[in-house]
Amino acid sequence: MARIDLIDVVKQFKGETVIPKLNLTIREGSFTVLVGPSGCGKTTTLRMIAGLERQTSGDILIDGACVNDVEPGKRDVAMVFQNYALYPNMTVRENIEFGLKNRGVPRRDRERLVRDICEIVDLTPYLDKKPQSLSGGQRQRVALARAMVKHPKVFILDEPLSNLDAKLRVHMRTELIELHRRLGATFVYVTHDQTEAMSMGDRIVVMHRGEIMQAAAPMELYDDPDNLFTARFIGTPPMNVLPMNLLPNLGTEGGGRAEYVGFRPEHARLLPGSADPPSDGLAIAGSIITRESLGAEHVYQLRTTAGTCFVKQFLRPYAGGDFATAVVPHDRLYFFDGEGRRLRNLRAASRPEPAAAGVR
Amino acid sequence: MPMVPKRLKPYAMIAPALAVFSLFYLYPIGYMIHLSFHEWNFISPEKTYVGLGNYREMLADDVFLQVLRNSALYTVMTVLLATGTALPLALWLNRKSGFHAFVQGAIFSPHIISLVSVSLLWSWLMDPEYGLLNGLLHWFGIGPLKWLNDPGTALLSLVIVAVWKNLGYNTIVFIAGLQSIPPELLEAAALDRSKPWTTFRRIILPMLSPTLFFLVIINLIGSFQVFETIAIMTQGGPVHSTNTLVYYIYEYGFRYFKIGHASAAGVILLVIVGTLTLGYFRLLSRRVHYYG
Amino acid sequence: MAPSRADARPVFATGRGAGRPAAARFRAALDAALRIANIVCMLLLVCVFALPFAWMISTSLKTLPETMRFPPDWIPDRPVWSNYADAWNSGPFPKYFLNSLIVSSGILVLQFLTIIPAAYAFARFRFPGRGLLFGLVMATLMIPPQLIFLPVYLMLSDWKLLNTHFALILPFASSAFGIFLLRQSFLQTAGELIEAARLDNAPEWKIMIRIMAPLARPVLATFALFSFISHWNDYFWPLVMTTNESARTLPIGIAKIRETEGTATWNVLMAANVMLAVPVLLAFFAAQRHIIRAFVYSGIK
Repeated sequence: MARIDLIDVVKQFKGETVIPKLNLTIREGSFTVLVGPSGCGKTTTLRMIAGLERQTSGDILIDGACVNDVEPGKRDVAMVFQNYALYPNMTVRENIEFGLKNRGVPRRDRERLVRDICEIVDLTPYLDKKPQSLSGGQRQRVALARAMVKHPKVFILDEPLSNLDAKLRVHMRTELIELHRRLGATFVYVTHDQTEAMSMGDRIVVMHRGEIMQAAAPMELYDDPDNLFTARFIGTPPMNVLPMNLLPNLGTEGGGRAEYVGFRPEHARLLPGSADPPSDGLAIAGSIITRESLGAEHVYQLRTTAGTCFVKQFLRPYAGGDFATAVVPHDRLYFFDGEGRRLRNLRAASRPEPAAAGVR
Repeated sequence: MPMVPKRLKPYAMIAPALAVFSLFYLYPIGYMIHLSFHEWNFISPEKTYVGLGNYREMLADDVFLQVLRNSALYTVMTVLLATGTALPLALWLNRKSGFHAFVQGAIFSPHIISLVSVSLLWSWLMDPEYGLLNGLLHWFGIGPLKWLNDPGTALLSLVIVAVWKNLGYNTIVFIAGLQSIPPELLEAAALDRSKPWTTFRRIILPMLSPTLFFLVIINLIGSFQVFETIAIMTQGGPVHSTNTLVYYIYEYGFRYFKIGHASAAGVILLVIVGTLTLGYFRLLSRRVHYYG
Repeated sequence: MAPSRADARPVFATGRGAGRPAAARFRAALDAALRIANIVCMLLLVCVFALPFAWMISTSLKTLPETMRFPPDWIPDRPVWSNYADAWNSGPFPKYFLNSLIVSSGILVLQFLTIIPAAYAFARFRFPGRGLLFGLVMATLMIPPQLIFLPVYLMLSDWKLLNTHFALILPFASSAFGIFLLRQSFLQTAGELIEAARLDNAPEWKIMIRIMAPLARPVLATFALFSFISHWNDYFWPLVMTTNESARTLPIGIAKIRETEGTATWNVLMAANVMLAVPVLLAFFAAQRHIIRAFVYSGIK
């Protein structure tokens, strides 16, 4: 396992700056996930670590040594590609041992290593087959085996689960976590799916337009987002964000001006339209426009004068009819300024006159 | 569109094309095979049945044997040179830049102008007294060559012309093949610490083999059909050194008016080209499932 | 989105990492030198292909004695433009040009008329004998003109069609290759579009012309380019099928100059050659990508 440092890394493609200035440390032995929407630069960053792209400027260090001019093959990095990139004219065995062969590993050792790896990923019956005759899940395991057999310091995975069907994806998620625990190598994982990121990583790097929005442990991202982007990126449905000026009965204390206030759908609950609002929480009244019942979860979309928001309730559905008030405790509110930065020093307070928030 | 009963509609739609093919491709083949068993001088309406006489006559004819030899030699040399050089060229020129596109276009350009232009141009280039080629050789201190006028070098000269015309096409096709290789494969190979030669031998070449086979067969079949360059540059000479199958058929048909004899030669050409094409399709169907 | 992977080149640099300025400078210089050598070699390659054309143009502007200088000069003393006039006047060139145009266009029109319905039928209908008939069509790909010219000549001679445009157009009125290409394209068009049209009670011909053909337009354009240029350049077939001027095409006309004037008047001959080749070359450089695509995909079946 190895530590990876990216220092002042800049990447430009044909005059367009894709990554303005990236500073990132990936701790050794961690399972770090780079997550973000399409075009945020996560795959580019990954490829620069692997050496498949060269950064325009800046340094990349693996285990403290600068690898700027080191070939991909010599960086001790293994990669699992999104489309697996298996050599079509070679058998599974040949695919896996290709890297070992190029390093001059003698045949007996090669055979042993391949055999061991295949037992771990359960590929032994397929060793002499060609990739075309394998299923998606099997091909993915070959890609994994090919990477693992090299015992690299760094494991790079570029959206490896995105081509699998939903059930297999969930299964492979746990397999990969197991694998990480067993191998102890540094995993750098790229995905656009925030659920995947949250469930797998011990450290998550949220990226947007080539910049890091926030890098922290999953729960920290959830509980304590740094900015509006991160707050809205994590969670399904995403955090509700409403403009402050449309909520006259909400005030703040502690200095600073909040433009937006946010709360997570699961932290709100619905009261029937005629109920009294509590004193230590935000109350917004509105009409329910959609209801989704997913068994244990119930998601409601509420249209109010301050905007549309979602409320997620568990186990018991809302029984009160079409008009409702969403209630959020004050300590579950997040405040953001005009630029989307989080204002942590603000606390919520109710304004003296509770205005009757009508239905739009 | 006239009201055609629904069941017959597809047949009606294919009919025009089929009519053309039957009339101008399939029937002529049959006719030619029929004629090859006869003797006919085209003027008189009389066709004498001679069985395998024409074939026996040809196989005993030294000129015909030389024609077969020439065709084989020409084909082997052209195909080897035109495809063998095209692959390294393609590897070298395979990059997407304006300059590379310009170079690719330049080497492709001979392919697009007519063979007549190419033949006339090279006749002039290879003129033994005033041609540019001898001029360039003179600059290097090498004495003038006789090119098309010498039975020893005439066939080779025609090979050079064919290679000049086809090299660009072969190269571009190879480049297309190279670009169809998913870049991730090459990246994975780089991560597997594969040296350039290993990557070429174990990944690129196998993935390029359908393209390679295709080009070899296309070049093979095309080279058996050579006619224009011979007709314009050497007329089969000197001393039959550049006489090949199609020209031989042409001469016997249009100059000596021995239709039966020419048809027999045509049948032999049919057998050769047919075998090559069938072989190609068989190989192709096997290879196509290779990469599914 | 992430930039196209086709531009990405794995870093194949050698060396042990930054921090050695002298070594880094040397490497940079070596890289630059290699890059220049590469470009020079490519330019040499271009010369191999471009020089003959340059020589062709140079010769076309010389006087006859100038062409006979050895070692040859590149630049004529004074450009002799009259060579072009001589070439043009050496034969009925406007007629040749017109014939070429009629033949190439006629072939293309007939080809479109025959291959579109045929490809459509092969792609969208199931009928007994479909496989066999398609195989038969594909078999004609094995039969080049050089194989059947003699029997076809005899046939056309019997029907008194020699020396007419029909002899040059009809044998090529359809194209197995075109049917193949178009069928591929039709097969790939979403079947749903056709189902929707059929549900709308559209007659078959309307589906074919209004929906499928426009979708196949790029394939049709590619094929048209290939067909037109190939037949424009064709020397063999018109040579065999015409014995007089009435239907003779441009390539024959150009080659004939050599015979009438004798082998020595290279300057006039090259002028004629320039007139034949340069228009195609100009078209090529204008639409290089399309033309290359037309010819390259014509082969990749």
